[in-house]
Formats: sequence, C-alpha cells, structure tokens
Amino acid sequence: MTNIAVSSVITGREDRDAGTEKDVHIGTRGLDLYYGEAHVLKSVSFDMYRSSVTAFIGPSGCGKSSFIRCVNRMNDFIAGARVTGELLVDGDDIYAPGTDVIALRRRVGMVFQKPNPFPMSIYDNIAYGPRLFGVTDKDQLDDIVRRSLEWAALWEEVQDKLGSSGTGLSGGQQQRLCIARAIATEPEILLMDEPTSALDPLSTARIEELIRDLKKDFTVVIVTHNMQQAARISDYTAFFLMGELIEYGKTSKIFTAPDEARTGDYITGRFG
Amino acid sequence: MTIDTRKQIEADFNEISRMLLKLGNMSGEALTRSVWALERLDMATAHAVIEGDDPLDDLTEWIEEKCMAFGARHQPLGRDLRAVLSTMHMAVDLERIGDYGVNISRVVLALEGKSFIKPLLDIPRMSEVFSEMLHCTLNAYDTSDPEMAKRVFMMDGEIDALEKQVMRELFTMVLERADRFEQAFLLIGVARALERAGDHLTNIAERVVYICTGKSVRASDFKKRKQ
Repeated sequence: MTNIAVSSVITGREDRDAGTEKDVHIGTRGLDLYYGEAHVLKSVSFDMYRSSVTAFIGPSGCGKSSFIRCVNRMNDFIAGARVTGELLVDGDDIYAPGTDVIALRRRVGMVFQKPNPFPMSIYDNIAYGPRLFGVTDKDQLDDIVRRSLEWAALWEEVQDKLGSSGTGLSGGQQQRLCIARAIATEPEILLMDEPTSALDPLSTARIEELIRDLKKDFTVVIVTHNMQQAARISDYTAFFLMGELIEYGKTSKIFTAPDEARTGDYITGRFG
Repeated sequence: MTIDTRKQIEADFNEISRMLLKLGNMSGEALTRSVWALERLDMATAHAVIEGDDPLDDLTEWIEEKCMAFGARHQPLGRDLRAVLSTMHMAVDLERIGDYGVNISRVVLALEGKSFIKPLLDIPRMSEVFSEMLHCTLNAYDTSDPEMAKRVFMMDGEIDALEKQVMRELFTMVLERADRFEQAFLLIGVARALERAGDHLTNIAERVVYICTGKSVRASDFKKRKQ
C-alpha cells in the first residue's frame, strides 16, 4: 500500500489524486490576456485535471474571473480583449483559428455570482439550451429537464411546479436552477464565478454539496473569495495575484503549508 | 479580510501563546522541583509539587478551550492553522511533563527516612539538561526560531544516554544485592520520567519547526545525522 492510499484510509477521503493528474482536461501554456493596454493575465501556465474541483483564489482584480472567462471565450465579447499563448481543452487550443466557439460553449457551462434565471418557467429555463442545440422532442426534453434538476438537487423541490416562473424561487433554489440550466446541455466543464456569494449559509452548504457530487461527471473550476469554501470543496487551488499565477497545487497543501510566502500571507489575511 | 480582523487574530493567538509559555514554565518547575526534593528528600517540596498539579491541569484545559474558540471564531488557515493546532498538542505535552513531576514527588514521599543506595549524580544532571531543553524549546516557540528548536533534538540525545547509564548502574547494584531492588526500581522510574519529559519537549520542538516552516521534521533524523 502506498503512502497516499494509507493517508486516504486514515482521512476517510477517496484518493483524489490517483490517476487524475495524468488526465489533464484544461491546460494553459504562457497564457496572456490584455484588455486594451491593461495586462490582465501574465504568462499563466498550468494544468487542471478531469473530474476534479479547482478553486481560484486571490484578491479582487487579480485576474481569476478573467481567467475562467477565457475558458469559454466569454472575453471575446469585451472590446479590446486579446489573448496570446495557448489554452488547451483536451489538448486542443481553443484560441486556434477555426475553433467553433458555439460548440466550445456547449462543452463549457457557466454559473455566475448572482442567480440569473431567465424570466420564464422553470421547465423552459432548463430546456432553453437543449432547444437551442436542436432538441425538439417533448419526451427527450422532459428527460433532460428532469435529469438536470436531479443533478442539481432541485427536482424534489420543484417537480410539482415546473410551469411556474424560475424567478419565483428562493435565492438558493434559483442558483441551483442556474446550475441545472448550465448542465442541461451536458458540458464537460463547469465554470463557477463566486456561485454562493449571494446566498445564505444553508443554501451555500447545499451548493457546496452539489459541487462535490458534480465533479463525478464534470470538471469544475470555481472562483471564490471564501477561503474556507475553497478549502472545503476543491481538490486543487490556484492563487492569483496581479495577473500572475503565484502558486498552484493540492488544496490540502495550499491551505496548510503553502510554498510561497505571498500565498501564506493572503490566506491568513495579511493582505487582500 | 480586513486589517482589524488580522489584528484580532494576532491578539487572540498572542493570549494563547502567552498562556502556553506560562504552562511550560509551571510544568518545568514542577519537574525540576521534584528532582530538587529528591536530592534532599524534602517532603514539604514534594507535597507542594503534588498539590500544584491542579492549576496546571486547569491551565491546560483553558488553553484547549481557547484554541477551540480561536478555530471556531477565525477558521484559521496556513500558519495560523498550524500554530493553533500545534499549540493544542503542545499543551498536552507540557501537562504530561507536570504529571512526571508529580510521579517523582511520590517517589520522594516513598523514600522518606531512607538513605540512598548511591549518590545521585546522573539524575540531577538529567534535570539540568531538561531545564536547558525547556528554555530552548519555549524560546524557540516564543521567537518562532526553527533553528533554536532543532538544537533541542541534540540535547534529547544526552538525556537518553544519561537514562541508559542510570539503568545500567542500578541494575548492576541490584544484581550485587537484591535488597536494593525497591529503591533501584523507584530511581529507574525517576530516570524514565525525565527521559519521557525530554521526549515531550522534543515533540514540542518538532511542532515549532512545523509552525515556522510548514515542514514536518523528526528529531530522530537529526540525532542520526549527528551520530
């Protein structure tokens, strides 16, 4: 038995690292991002692993949200945004000429800080994406809606009111609806930008539990300002500061004994 | 996290670390006074050490409670997390040292009115080395000095060697005359208690290195290197 296996027996946690580090899902090589003159990300290179949760931490303006917006090319919508270097999903550079951005966004779902359900029924919120991608069969849509809501741990609460408005749900339910909507098109990667910052502790706990479940089927990348949340739910943590990736590694190490003094100072609240 | 929060973390932990140093001094005093009482067969001092154990236990409990409250209040990470968890363990180590002082004091009471089968030389020397180790350990903790903590590892080797010497000598004496058994048995217990106290200080010194550097070290690795 290896040391890793022994420690996983002791801690009662699954051996998160075995195998996964060989399975790189998202990788960057010298990634730079500019908004006009502003140099937002500076030569960022690292790998994120399939079926793991990677948390991005760092003070406001450090580039962590900008980074995740590169992964589904949402920065394309910002005038003057320019990316150099490589951002690889399954080994393919998503910024290479000829990349089908619509197909990419289907593979990469996103959940935002504030729950933003569409002003339509719960059912239509979930069915919106699949319909956009050409699913018209009612039974198939019913299946997708049910499965997505089950995935997002919302089915039991809303199964009797699928026709009512999504905006009528509580904040925590709305955010789970948005997660269900994001996963309805069965993406491989789920990007979450501070998904619980507008929620109460109980709703936050439900979302965190959901994230742990979701990683079985998705690679999750989450931006959070809550260090304890990153420590609770992520397998790997990346610390950004002023556009640079300062330290990246296993969460258990980053939050107990990071290698970089700046990481240690940040997580203990000496700055930021 | 605001600057005020950081100040509060430091103020709260400072309170805990002051009390840990106090516990260290109290436990160390209990142990060294018990050896002092043994050398002179001073019953009053032995009684005083035994009676002084309760405040020591209370202080240990206080530190544990404060560490728990610190964890709940600040949810510490990084060095703060290492420091508060290590401090909880250190308090237990120090409390055990106090208990050894009580054990040695009981030996003193058992030897009332008797004369020693041999002059006490190595046991007081063990107590001296222990005092040096304690001073070094608490200073290393107070000043966050991992190099000073590592010096404790070497000193522990000296205590171990002295304990072996005491055992050898007492075994030989018992083999020569079986009626020396009872006292020899008690004195071996004293040497063993001092050796264990040294081990607890070594544990604390290891944790000081961990708090300061984030790296776990083992004293035995340093001792081997020295040999």
